[in-house]
Amino acid sequence: MKIFKSIKWRLQIWYGLILVVVLAGFGFTAYQLERGRLLGRVDDELHRRVGVLANALHHPPPRGLEENEQPFDRPPPGQFPDDGPPGQNPHPPLEFHLPPEAAGLFGTNDSNNFYFIIEGRDGNELACSDNVLQSEVDFQHRFNAVNHASNLDNSPAPRASLNFKDNRGIFQRLPSGETIYVACSVIPELRELKMTALKLAGVGGIILFFGLAGGWWIVSRSLRPVVEISSAAAKISAGDLSQRINVAEAESELGQLAAVLNSTFARLDAAFAQQKQFASDAAHELRTPVAVVLTQTQTTLNRERTAPEYRETVEACQRAAQRMRKLIGALLELARLDAGQEQMKRMKFDLSRTARDCVELIRLLADERGVKIASELPPLEITGDSERIAQVITNLLTNAIQYNNPDGEVRITTQAQTGSAILTVRDTGAGIAAEDLPRVFERFYRADKSRSSGNNGLGLAISKAIVEAHGGAIEVSSEENVGTIFTVRLPAA
Amino acid sequence: MRILVVEDEPDLLRSLAQALREEGYAVDTADNGDDGLFSAEGTDYDAIVLDVMLPGMDGWEILKRLRKTKKTPVLMLTARDQSRDRVRGLDTGADDYVVKPFDLPELFARLRAIIRRGANKTTNTIEIGDVTVDTAARNVLFKDKPVELTAREYSLVEFLALHRGEVVTRTQLYEHLFDENESSLSNLLDVHVSNVRKKLGAEFITTRRGHGYCVEG
Repeated sequence: MKIFKSIKWRLQIWYGLILVVVLAGFGFTAYQLERGRLLGRVDDELHRRVGVLANALHHPPPRGLEENEQPFDRPPPGQFPDDGPPGQNPHPPLEFHLPPEAAGLFGTNDSNNFYFIIEGRDGNELACSDNVLQSEVDFQHRFNAVNHASNLDNSPAPRASLNFKDNRGIFQRLPSGETIYVACSVIPELRELKMTALKLAGVGGIILFFGLAGGWWIVSRSLRPVVEISSAAAKISAGDLSQRINVAEAESELGQLAAVLNSTFARLDAAFAQQKQFASDAAHELRTPVAVVLTQTQTTLNRERTAPEYRETVEACQRAAQRMRKLIGALLELARLDAGQEQMKRMKFDLSRTARDCVELIRLLADERGVKIASELPPLEITGDSERIAQVITNLLTNAIQYNNPDGEVRITTQAQTGSAILTVRDTGAGIAAEDLPRVFERFYRADKSRSSGNNGLGLAISKAIVEAHGGAIEVSSEENVGTIFTVRLPAA
Repeated sequence: MRILVVEDEPDLLRSLAQALREEGYAVDTADNGDDGLFSAEGTDYDAIVLDVMLPGMDGWEILKRLRKTKKTPVLMLTARDQSRDRVRGLDTGADDYVVKPFDLPELFARLRAIIRRGANKTTNTIEIGDVTVDTAARNVLFKDKPVELTAREYSLVEFLALHRGEVVTRTQLYEHLFDENESSLSNLLDVHVSNVRKKLGAEFITTRRGHGYCVEG
């Protein structure tokens, strides 16, 4: 069933049950205590009346000494009858005379309607109150049954109490053999108990109601972030990455979860945006060479051309294709670096030697541009992929030459520092404007906004990815009209 | 018709200029933003083909500055086809845009369209008496028969037809029919005018002495 799968309902049912058990236990105890108190009070009254009745039993006045009867055996009038020695038999039957002041203890003027029966030694009724009703017969039978069952004859001063039919009674057998039964109606007490039970049930019900309502409120409130989280997650999974969870309670556990999820969503969003931008930039970079090829071929094919004209067109197309080839290569390389598929070799090699090789290879370009290359390359051993590091150095040198002034200088140095190897490439070009500086490592970012330099805007991004794959870092600093310094920091061998 | 092309990719610039010249336009070129703006402000072009990404001043900036002084129709060449780029271009005052890579016939058609709109014409055909000029097909009918015109002669007819009823000065004709690389020999224009009169009737072009030429509506 769906309701038992809902956390909210399961919690609600669980503490509802606990609340009911606790309230029922508490109510039952309170009810029992109250019952004991009320019936105890009735019992006290009953005992008091038994005492009064016992005192009202008198021995008849002596009519001379009888044989084997001693005067000391007889309790003086007014003396408590069970003073007499137990088992002394036979006594003359006692006389009952209820003092008038005690008569008020029994009768209908009391709401409890006390009544009594005194049974003689022989089991005959000695006396009874005026208000003994039909029920007493029953009362008596019940008492007799109890009498026999508990074998009361063996006990010296047996007394017992029992309930029957809205009545409560006690009896006491006197040592002289008479039995006093006193009972009363407990209807007022039962009514009071009923009221108590109702009150307890009412209070319990109210507590249960507020308990459940409060619990429902707290559970709903604390589960609300879950609802928000799931609705936001649903929208995100439907493709709307800009969705965030509305975190109202940052302190609660779910609030923290929501914050963590939000930051995850934000990173996902940024990663997707970056991918989108990358794809759009890549397409954009490919558009211009394709436009060259299309325009060249369409123009040329419009009419008959001379051989040199065809040649020129083919050359232009070749240049465009070369540019696309380079661009596609760079894009693939970046994609592999991004995916972590490009494995960097871990070999010891001399960084200064690699740098020197790169300088030799690039010298032709430098000479073309009239740029001098100065190097300061003390031997420096590091661990890594020498081909990849050479790619980085070549890229930095090419940039330094291309963006240099004619007759400028490029200076490349290596230097050991604690735990790392530093390679710097410094040029004396126009420098990079401060607002462009933080973005030079971005893909396709070109400070000069044009394609004429022949760069695809990916060189520095690839260099950065390679250096970072080695666990190193690349930094740039620049001053306009003074020059730019690229610093590569690699972990030492 | 004289057109300025501003584009920094040399191969693209060269082939575009060549294709446009072969279409009968007089074409000037610029390969950076600053030169582009200088030319655009200094000459009354019939249209400008402007690339967005340029070294120096970019296409948006050129357009913004040019719009302060001139209403020359501008066709933007852009490598981005996102609608915000198009919106931006059209809002800045571009008359149309073409996304790279483009098809030459489409570029020509759009160019003709913005030139026509610049001259407040809505159709491709202009009828003047017995003469019908079809600017899309770039041909002329005289008494419903096609007339053989050279590219330059056609340009002269088209320009005068687009400005029918107006007096067009010789200077204007030179500016719109010849690009900056051609020597503007004064009698070259007279030769073209006299050839057109031979083919379309002497009364087609009237001479306003001291002012220029005119095609009467």
